[in-house]
Amino acid sequence: MKQTVRLGAGMAFWGDSVQPAIQMVERGEIDYLCCDHLAELTMSILSKQKAKDPRFGYTRDIVDLLRGALPTCVAKGVKVVTNAGGANPRACAERIAELARELGLSGLKIACVLGDNIEDDIDRLMGEGVPFANMDTGQELAAVRERLTHACVYTGCEGIVESLEAGADIVVCGRVTDIALYLGPLIYEFGWARDDWQRLGMATIVAHCIECGGQATGGLYAGGWQDMEGLEELGYPIAEFSNDGTAVVTKTPGSGGRVDIGTVSEQLIYEILDPGNYLTADVTADFTNVTLEEVGPDRVRISGGVGRPAPATLKVNMGYRAGFIGEAQFTYTWPDAYDKAVRGMAFLRNRLKRAGFKYEDDIVEYIGWNSMFEDRIGPPEDPELMEIVVRYAARCTDAKEARKVFTECVPLYNNGPAGVAGVGTRPPLKELFALWPCLVPREYIKQSIKIVEV
Amino acid sequence: MAKIRVADIAHGRSGDKGDTCNVGLVAYDDRGFELLKRHVTEERVKDHFGSLVKGTVSRYEMPNIKSFNFVLTRALDGGGTMSLRSDHLGKVMYAWLLRMEIEE
Repeated sequence: MKQTVRLGAGMAFWGDSVQPAIQMVERGEIDYLCCDHLAELTMSILSKQKAKDPRFGYTRDIVDLLRGALPTCVAKGVKVVTNAGGANPRACAERIAELARELGLSGLKIACVLGDNIEDDIDRLMGEGVPFANMDTGQELAAVRERLTHACVYTGCEGIVESLEAGADIVVCGRVTDIALYLGPLIYEFGWARDDWQRLGMATIVAHCIECGGQATGGLYAGGWQDMEGLEELGYPIAEFSNDGTAVVTKTPGSGGRVDIGTVSEQLIYEILDPGNYLTADVTADFTNVTLEEVGPDRVRISGGVGRPAPATLKVNMGYRAGFIGEAQFTYTWPDAYDKAVRGMAFLRNRLKRAGFKYEDDIVEYIGWNSMFEDRIGPPEDPELMEIVVRYAARCTDAKEARKVFTECVPLYNNGPAGVAGVGTRPPLKELFALWPCLVPREYIKQSIKIVEV
Repeated sequence: MAKIRVADIAHGRSGDKGDTCNVGLVAYDDRGFELLKRHVTEERVKDHFGSLVKGTVSRYEMPNIKSFNFVLTRALDGGGTMSLRSDHLGKVMYAWLLRMEIEE
């Protein structure tokens, strides 16, 4: 058994730069490259792609990443665990196999983990008594059933462990939790029991800290961004896990950024709710007494986490089509920049009203002034204000209405107040997908694996 | 008593979970942590965010890393995918909390 297992965080989201992962494999001496590609509603987009063409539905950036990293992974024995499979892990695994052949690699086992997608099982499960009611509002699923884009379960790491036990070099998952990408390799390597809550909970806290890539190593650092060097070549984090689930967080040698108590603290508190009750599919973690210690340059030890049993239910990620956003923005200059922008906005709203505009909600933001904090900021008082950008956005149930926002603002070029520019060309309409958060008892969800050999 | 801003004693980060926004504050030192504990209460934070937060504010403490986590519900105009705001993911909400004035 290994004394230390080194897990690297290769991706933080779909579309993230693939260079940090490639560098990490080359210089980081890692055992596993763990790549998270899925945000809350990525599955909506991927399901749509799969419906259009059954060869797609995964995040195609994994192909770019592996094109650069796979030869080195094979040479050094680095395994890859990813949720890039999205809505179509099988197609993703097949594409990776094809890539391996293109690169002249052979003797590889690529596993795909299935079982998270319950789209075709909803009626059966409802028949068996799973209500899928909205966790936040209590509403019945019937309210949005016809508009659902996808339904998948935040699944745990058992399929990853099974894949590694079957000798997989690459494990391609769909909607497993970000945390599972890390717990899977640790359970496999250290032989932890599935109810070893303490080790799993401790390791979960470390995984949470590194799974957003560069945010643990100096990216988005608010505690002194001025002194953060090498952001352009930010090294992504690596956690060196001990058998007790604690770890030292570091980063790719010779890369930009920094790992210290400040950068690690900021990321520990990122996107968590109650730190005493961090729920995942595999374990409940308690961050309350987490402790950090700088043990060397760019090396921070994380300990003090606690684990408790996993929740009885798993979270389901469902999305549904929820209309469109129509959006326009334009820039007014001195003199009277702000007052002219207010008049321009009145012009747009009056024209929309005459056009019989139907919308659910709208917003006006003065960019450069209050676009982030709305009415918390009063109107600008400086008469010398050189320019202001005004943005209008409205949420509409249908696309035809949303398009009116742009068409009705075009006359501002000639017919509104003077000193306007930057209306620009027609922006693409943004289709909206809303989340339907709900739960399913875990006994209804069973993962399975399939292996593709090259 | 002299007024300071939260930014003078802490740094932070914010993000989204649906329509819930979390704002984490990390004090630069123990004294800063004590000041946050005393002054940056759930009530003050709720009041400070005003109409930006339509739900509740809950505060959680992580003493060993001198941090507090604030969980703001109904805070992102319907959540990342539905929001009309430019900051639909709540990435800059931390900055508004850093601007809050407290007594030293």
